[in-house]
Amino acid sequence: MFAAGSRVFFRLMIRPLAREPLRTAVTILAIGLGVSAVLAIELAGDAAAGSFQSSVETLAGDADFEVTAIGGIPPEVLTSLAMLPYPLRLRPRIEDYAVVAATNRVVPFVGVDMLSDAQGDGIRAGDRSSFKDGDRVRLQIGDQVHDLKVRGVIRHGGEAIVTDLAPATRLLGRDGKLDRILIQTPTTRSPDEWEQILRNALPAGVLLARGGAQTSENRKMLAAFRWNLRALSYIALVVGAFLIYNTMSVAVVRRRAEIAVARGLGATRSGVLLAFLGQAVLLGLAGAGVGILLGRGLAEGAVKLVGATVQSLYVSSQPSPIHLALPMAALALLLGCAAAMVSALAPALEASRVPPIEGMASGRREYDAAGRRAGQLIAAAVAGCLAYLASRVGPVEGKPLWGYVSAALLVAASALAMPALVTVAARVSAILARRLRLTEALLAARSLAASLRRTSVLTAALSTAIAMMVAVGIMVGSFRQTVILWLEDRLRADLYLRDAAPAGVDRHPPMPPELADCIAQLPEVAAVDRFRAYQISYQGMPATLGAGDMNVVARYGERAFLSGAPPAGVLAQLRHGDNVIVSEPFASKHHVQRGDTITLPLGTLPLGARNVRLHVVDIYYDYSSERGFVIMDRARLLRYLPDPAPSNVAVYLKPGVPIEQGRRAVESVIAGRRILALTNRSLRTEAMRVFDRTFAITYGLEAVAVLVAVMGVAGALVALVIDRRREMGLLRFLGGAQTQVRRLILFEAGLLGLFSMAAGIVLGVLLSRLLIFVINKQSFGWTIQFHWPVAVLLIGLGIVYGATLLAGLYPARIATRLNPIEVIHEE
Amino acid sequence: MILALRNAGKEYITDGSRVEALRDVSIEARAGEMVAIVGRSGCGKSTLLHLAGAMDFPTSGTVTIDGRITSDLADAALTRLRREKVGFVFQSFQLLNTLSVVENVELPLLLAGVFHTRDAAMERLRWVEMESYAARMPWQLSGGQQQRVAIARALVASPPLLLADEPTGNLDSATGDTIFALLRRIADERGGAVLVATHNREAAAIADRIVLLRDGEVAEIQDVRGR
Repeated sequence: MFAAGSRVFFRLMIRPLAREPLRTAVTILAIGLGVSAVLAIELAGDAAAGSFQSSVETLAGDADFEVTAIGGIPPEVLTSLAMLPYPLRLRPRIEDYAVVAATNRVVPFVGVDMLSDAQGDGIRAGDRSSFKDGDRVRLQIGDQVHDLKVRGVIRHGGEAIVTDLAPATRLLGRDGKLDRILIQTPTTRSPDEWEQILRNALPAGVLLARGGAQTSENRKMLAAFRWNLRALSYIALVVGAFLIYNTMSVAVVRRRAEIAVARGLGATRSGVLLAFLGQAVLLGLAGAGVGILLGRGLAEGAVKLVGATVQSLYVSSQPSPIHLALPMAALALLLGCAAAMVSALAPALEASRVPPIEGMASGRREYDAAGRRAGQLIAAAVAGCLAYLASRVGPVEGKPLWGYVSAALLVAASALAMPALVTVAARVSAILARRLRLTEALLAARSLAASLRRTSVLTAALSTAIAMMVAVGIMVGSFRQTVILWLEDRLRADLYLRDAAPAGVDRHPPMPPELADCIAQLPEVAAVDRFRAYQISYQGMPATLGAGDMNVVARYGERAFLSGAPPAGVLAQLRHGDNVIVSEPFASKHHVQRGDTITLPLGTLPLGARNVRLHVVDIYYDYSSERGFVIMDRARLLRYLPDPAPSNVAVYLKPGVPIEQGRRAVESVIAGRRILALTNRSLRTEAMRVFDRTFAITYGLEAVAVLVAVMGVAGALVALVIDRRREMGLLRFLGGAQTQVRRLILFEAGLLGLFSMAAGIVLGVLLSRLLIFVINKQSFGWTIQFHWPVAVLLIGLGIVYGATLLAGLYPARIATRLNPIEVIHEE
Repeated sequence: MILALRNAGKEYITDGSRVEALRDVSIEARAGEMVAIVGRSGCGKSTLLHLAGAMDFPTSGTVTIDGRITSDLADAALTRLRREKVGFVFQSFQLLNTLSVVENVELPLLLAGVFHTRDAAMERLRWVEMESYAARMPWQLSGGQQQRVAIARALVASPPLLLADEPTGNLDSATGDTIFALLRRIADERGGAVLVATHNREAAAIADRIVLLRDGEVAEIQDVRGR
């Protein structure tokens, strides 16, 4: 029974696929590209962020607890832990970054207690660095370059450079404070009991967390970013699903007579349903196979882009090698099959309902399809209303889940409204074509309206891809414009000084405090703002605590607040008491509002340790980091963390002093040190370069979705020509020229492109508002001003339209090569 | 003379071997004349019609339509010739199911770049007594009605030559008779030359001349009008 069924399935469902290799290949490739986009993003995300371990955590091993403190852990804390009457294994560490002078690559620089790690003395290199035992390496550590000798390679050391605590302290210019103490506890007590014991032994202001807390914090921080990227990658798969739906629908329409014969010969309804679903599964499996190969390749490029975004916005880390594990391959196969099956379900059900005596003409089905327009329009309106309601619901555990639901509903509403839109658009096109005396355009418009089902599906697929392009284009363009305006507002100083190492959002190497003092004394300089930043953890999420000179900021700077309050008044409040301002992403992430109080563990032994309650006087717009900032006055911070070394210095020149003159004066002070003096303009340029690099991955994903859609249009037009070959032949009999047949197909492609663009732009604008005001706001907390990036959109749409027309060339060629005598006599 | 085939022959190469579909055929059709081509399936009737309609070229001899030898014309000129001089009617009607009746009739005019088509199309539909069905879809019509619409379409550009390939092949005999009567009217009332291929010798009796084809050759020409 099974063998017989298999033979029938092979003959009736597999052979037809082989008879149309091009069409089958296009369908497989469409689903393959969709799967590959999802797989590439998953693999790249895992490599760059998912299997993330902060690079400074290299060699952390399996510690049960870790101790940290804002501004560093005083050595006394280690002593007090060592004095505890328990056999604890304590591993004190200094964690920072160094720059390999030859490559300008930032690598973790870790100081460990070599004695306790039993690894001897000297500088060791991780096994993923390119250094060998005995190599000499020039490393920039702090603002100095050191020539160091590698005395061993550490397995599983990544790219880290590891040395003993003493040289690390000396090279980094530390005052003996540690960054982290890793603690391994015996198994004699429960983790909760050990936590209690350790907490009691630690002074206030020193943080105790379970092992791997930083990794977990970073993962949590990256979750929203990965979610959004993942959602974006699925669009290509959705577009691919539309095209499978189209392929299967066309197959069912074409083969109705065959299905009726099969039913007459004894095939059951469920048998027909399973046969079509089985065919879809095979297409899905083949597509997923292609997708796995393509996805693995695409992941290599994607990981660079995702890694760059992670570096720019979140945390310093180097992507790990891409690893395509079996579960991921299984996921890809599952996705391919699921997409194919879901999209084939409706056509397969239609096939199963074909009666054994089939008497319905194809035109009748199109006529019936047209009759369903009103019902579909009502369904579209309902979906649109639900989309609106979903967009009003808040995030779920920090993720904009209802935002995604709203986006899916909008796409569904657009697809449901498509038959009505296509009908109207085709009628308008026909009227215009008649007025313009474009015969082929008129015929093309009529033909598209007449093939409503097929035209609607194709338009829905292409318009979804275009909508994605428009939505992301507007979102990124709006974000970019918002950032440009923000930079103009925010960057008021003439020169900015920072460590010469490549910038990192979680790296704030301090520079000698006397430098800022010397610069402040220069005759060209009006004022200097010393900004100090510390990495902190707040409510289990990484953030940055920063402090600047509010007198200078109030006098020269500018900062826009959510409340709309005048900056001078807000900044004046910072100069008194434990007042802070927080950035918008921080407020959004931690649900902090103006007037709230936040508590940070500031100050450690022996200066007096305590948890400081900080009053949030306002929330300010900030687009520099998604981690979030807590900003206070420098004088206030120095009371808790009395390290005067600034991380950055902003220099305001006296009026009339040329920028080059001021720069030369400042550079004379920092000469010989690895410190950069950036002009206002170059800092802005650098910021926009980072911004553009950050969003490169989104453009890549857009391109894949559009490629899938255009391929689908090409495939569908080929099918259209094959299905309508008798019509093409008839046109020749009725006096149509070869060139007219070619133009007819090109007009159909062109009109399909136009309809899709019109629908895609409307849907795209709606999706862009959803992205800007709901998904982005709920994910990252940024307020973005809506902006039309006209040039980008025109270029993008122009490329898509050109590609759609190109997609019509091959089918047009097929149409003109048909022999009218042969095709007119075909049955 | 609207149509003249002079010693026309047609050879095909099929699977490497030569097949002679027509041999040394000479036929003429004048304005107002109806010529029936009869013979068994595969005798070359359709091939003859394709040559007569400038859809194909003879491999020997000539085909002249309204004074122009088809073999001498380039593709664009042939298309123009077909558009202006020839109307086709097929066995299986070949109406586009996705267009309404009147839109089907308008099609040749639109292909000829004529945009004021509705009046002409309605006039032809009126002539074949299908005016009241103009807004219907082809699948809503009977076979005979569909063939009437196909004839209206063939006549819409007022071609002097109408070619009909087994126009009653898909119809019952009574309906077939009305279609033949309609074709006769075209020759009589509109003054066109009608060349109709059929295997129905009885129906062909209303033609002015009957050409019997056998194995690609003219076996007999019967002048019915002179009878």
